[in-house]
Amino acid sequence: MNIFPIVNNGWKVLAGTFVVALPLVVPEMQVHLATEVLIYCLFAVSFNLLLGYAGLLPFGFAAMFGVGAYAAALMFNHLGSTPLVVVITVAAASGLLTAIIIGAFCVRLGGTYFALLTLAFQMFFYAVALKWRSVTNGDDGIPVMRPEFYFPGLGNLSLMNIHNLYWVVLFFVVLGILSAYLFLKTPLGNAVVCMRENEERAAFLGYNVYLTKLAVFSFAGLLAGVAGALYALFQEFVATTVIDANMSFAVVLMTIVGGTGRFSGPIAGAIFFMLFQDWISDITDYWRLYFGIVFVVVVLYLEGGLISLFNLDPIRRLLRRKTG
Amino acid sequence: MMAIHGLVYGMLLFMVASGLTLVFGMMGVLNLAHASFYMLGAYIAYSVTVITHSFWLSLLISPLIVAVLGMIIERFFLRRAHNRGHVAELLVTFGFFYILGELVRMIWGSNPLPVPAPVILQGDIPLLGGTYPVYRLFILFFSGIVLLALSLILKKTRVGILVRAAVSDAEMVDALGSNAPRLFMGVFGGGAALAALAGVIAAPFLSVYPSMGLDVLLDCFVVIVIGGFGSLFGALISAILIGELQSFGILWVPRLALVLQFLLMAIILVIRPTGLMGEKE
Amino acid sequence: MTALKLDHIYKDFSGLEVLVDISMTVEEGERHAVIGPNGAGKSTLFNIITGHYRPSRGKIHIMGRDSTGWSAHKIARMSLSRSFQVINNFPKMTVFENVRNAIVSKVDQRFNVVSFLSRSGKIRRQTEAVLEQLGMYEVRDVPAMELSYGWQRKLELALTLAGDSNVILLDEPTAGLDIEETRGFIELIKELTRGKTLVVVEHDMEVVFTLADRITVLNYGGVLITGSPEKIRDSEAVKNAYLGRNSHAAGTD
Repeated sequence: MNIFPIVNNGWKVLAGTFVVALPLVVPEMQVHLATEVLIYCLFAVSFNLLLGYAGLLPFGFAAMFGVGAYAAALMFNHLGSTPLVVVITVAAASGLLTAIIIGAFCVRLGGTYFALLTLAFQMFFYAVALKWRSVTNGDDGIPVMRPEFYFPGLGNLSLMNIHNLYWVVLFFVVLGILSAYLFLKTPLGNAVVCMRENEERAAFLGYNVYLTKLAVFSFAGLLAGVAGALYALFQEFVATTVIDANMSFAVVLMTIVGGTGRFSGPIAGAIFFMLFQDWISDITDYWRLYFGIVFVVVVLYLEGGLISLFNLDPIRRLLRRKTG
Repeated sequence: MMAIHGLVYGMLLFMVASGLTLVFGMMGVLNLAHASFYMLGAYIAYSVTVITHSFWLSLLISPLIVAVLGMIIERFFLRRAHNRGHVAELLVTFGFFYILGELVRMIWGSNPLPVPAPVILQGDIPLLGGTYPVYRLFILFFSGIVLLALSLILKKTRVGILVRAAVSDAEMVDALGSNAPRLFMGVFGGGAALAALAGVIAAPFLSVYPSMGLDVLLDCFVVIVIGGFGSLFGALISAILIGELQSFGILWVPRLALVLQFLLMAIILVIRPTGLMGEKE
Repeated sequence: MTALKLDHIYKDFSGLEVLVDISMTVEEGERHAVIGPNGAGKSTLFNIITGHYRPSRGKIHIMGRDSTGWSAHKIARMSLSRSFQVINNFPKMTVFENVRNAIVSKVDQRFNVVSFLSRSGKIRRQTEAVLEQLGMYEVRDVPAMELSYGWQRKLELALTLAGDSNVILLDEPTAGLDIEETRGFIELIKELTRGKTLVVVEHDMEVVFTLADRITVLNYGGVLITGSPEKIRDSEAVKNAYLGRNSHAAGTD
């Protein structure tokens, strides 16, 4: 009897249970941290749809994240009675729209062009956010009031309660990550990977490379918009930091350090990034510098990222040998 | 008057962009850390000026230090990434861009730092009916000399001819054989020195602040996209164009000067993806 | 109906003329071979027909429709597919996944986001059918890059034929195969392209004379002569063009 599947699936069930039960077993400050980790997980997973699966590297991915955050913030403030689900949907739609606009220009182009052009677009959005004070309040930012979340059976839950916030964020993040996972299993998801493997052959087989890339870019933008909205909810504040170069760079750094070759890579990366920030910033203000060093080391010496260290194959082989 | 102002920034931009476009043409990688070399050049100039009270000394020291740094990065890091493909190379340059940006923040802080121009270059002189700051004219003069020196090196010296050949023909690089790594390291270091030099010159003009790397990176990218990857002449034309655009743009539509530049790049990318003067990809 | 019609096609690359005044007609169901010395422009011709390059001058009609300047994917969807002289597959994907990519395009599910690929019985059956036809079922789970050269050539063929296109362009399909493999391959091609229009670029004259109804000879980017295999075999001009080359022209009878 091969007990590997039991080990493999068993630990997944354990991890899943831990994630869901987290607020009940972990002190409040860590719940706060965990909520932020979840948001970055979604952000990084959506980014990796592009880098790891489509083979596209956008240096300006924060544009979609930031637009989602601002859309949510504005809705929370001006249309405060809107149900949370609707706000998230609007943020998702804004992320989608932003991605379609940016993608329409950028997706036609190759690697380096695409990488920097998206950055240029994101800086443009940043400049708009900075200057359009009447709407965004510039770099002073917009404070956000967390609304209540209506859950049938439980009534109105206050999201000022960090436990409730965690579970609501968890719900949307899981939804987002799940949809990314399922997307990859559809024919369109297959087309995206196919294009990364051999774009020329794909075109000769009848695949519309431009539209396929635009589609995945837009979908990633949609998910990033959701992450942005959750971020607005979490931070209770949205300023130009959600749409600046630093935010764009952060998702690049954490995803690659985590690993782009596996679906769980960016999740590992987001977790590592937040924990690294949390621990190292106790020692020094310049944790970013050190993370940058980790990044370069990973790029040069650990191609598969941190997730490649979690290789269950040796265990699999060991167990197979033992049970015959 | 505005036109001269645009020209000043344009020439500065060209100094930075030239190194970037040469390295891209030769090695196929857009070195994002190049913008950091510019920034480091300016910051080192600040420190040298503070310690020695001599701006001229920083003109010498800064490019030297940055050139060495550049060569180290190329030799020990970039080269390693070469086998992994263009994406890995780009990411390494990005990593260094990021690291150097944070390093600067750590050493010099996040506030803008002033670098005073040397006394003889301060003040204004009468020009075209008005007055014009001497230092800006100095920038023009100096960058003009650099431009001249660069074209002489590329046209007349053996190294220069090798570089030009390598830029226009990737197969030529293979023919270089064992000399290629040394040439790469040299060009990389030379480009870094050029960027640092531009940083030193720019310091009294634009002041010194941590995101100056990012700002110049984006402007350089626009310059190279419009002028064509690998084309020095194209870089010159488009750098001046961008300089003028920013100068006049700020005059006409102050809040949206960025848009014009942006629009121009977007249009060019759609119509002629290889840039105005670039090679066919 | 004329499956493929080229009208005075010219192609130059930055001044270098590669194709000069090529006119050619291929009828539906015909088997047409394109031969010529190296550098005659055969691959460029294929690239032009399939939309990879735009002709500098001239027009192309596929199944009666003007396809000049159309993009590669649009032409592929017009029921024309091609194989490559240099192996051009999806290296990390398995043989099954490779062929499936072609099938997904054929049944036009390229943009489907609402169902799972692995669940589609139709796609799986059609993929397996193609694999069976080519005798590749046994290697279906092998990643393409791990296949031997002979299998990769078969995969190349599979990718081209999977789409069940009406017009099939094969660019040196037997390149690198030995005599036994080549013979088997040709039989396979003959069988699987029955009723379709076939245009083959080949160097191996035995293949050409076995397969072709008509032959076009290219030389220096232009059409030297077009005609039946007999006409080509007896042509002095062709012999001269191949001066110094070993042509197995007489070897088929």
